[in-house]
Amino acid sequence: MTPRLARWLTRLYPPAWRERYAEEFEALLEAGPSDLRTLANSIFSALHEHISPTHGGNMDQDPNSFNAMLRRPSAWLPLGMSLTALTMVLVSLAIGLAHGGKVTRDPDEGSIAHLWQLLMTVQMPIVLFFAIKWLRRAPGQTLRVLGLQACAWLASCAPIYFLHL
Amino acid sequence: MRSTPNVDEAEADQHPGHYSDPPLLVLASLAGGPKHGHAMIQDIAGMCGARLGPGTLYGAIGRLEQLAWIEPLPAEQRRRPYRITAAGLRVLRARLATLQQFTQAGHGRLEAL
Repeated sequence: MTPRLARWLTRLYPPAWRERYAEEFEALLEAGPSDLRTLANSIFSALHEHISPTHGGNMDQDPNSFNAMLRRPSAWLPLGMSLTALTMVLVSLAIGLAHGGKVTRDPDEGSIAHLWQLLMTVQMPIVLFFAIKWLRRAPGQTLRVLGLQACAWLASCAPIYFLHL
Repeated sequence: MRSTPNVDEAEADQHPGHYSDPPLLVLASLAGGPKHGHAMIQDIAGMCGARLGPGTLYGAIGRLEQLAWIEPLPAEQRRRPYRITAAGLRVLRARLATLQQFTQAGHGRLEAL
């Protein structure tokens, strides 16, 4: 393959990938044929790299780092559920204050209260799953994520407790 | 010995059913010693007839490197050789053991036909 075509194909890849592999990939392309199969393979692989990047094969990326742990669904789902519950309570409070000017306990729990209870309860088995799965593999980072989940859970409970809703 | 009498041998020769699991093929190739991309493609083609495209090869290399199953060595001019790590060897052994179990079971069933 000509160096020009090899360079053009390499440019289809994301910058982080190119930073790591561009030189050796170009050398490999130049050593091989420039047939349709090679072109299609390089183009589809470049597209795949954009969709599911290997981040340039960065060896420093620890799969058990705090950020990597947070990206796991069992870590961020409970956080999202707590934050959603908290937002619902705050929005409900704001609407109540805007209309009546006073926050009171509603004896007939409405749909928001039921949804809040559901969000706060359903996340428990997810947190348990996360703890069982990751505490042995990466105890430090797992405890940090669990702490964050506990803080979010308590933050969602705080308005209910302090305002006696 | 022919154990599948209904299979047309000529057809089987035309479509040998190349094994295609790029990460496993790369690990198996590097188990024979460090290699750069071009050498890996040739080695894999010699091993099982599968000819990996450059994009497929580097997709596998990127993921294997991220998993720390292979590691890069200092570049030789523009080519960079890779070698399999201890973790990669453990994974390769485990995968090959599973494949061996599978092929034994498959052959056993074919013999029974």
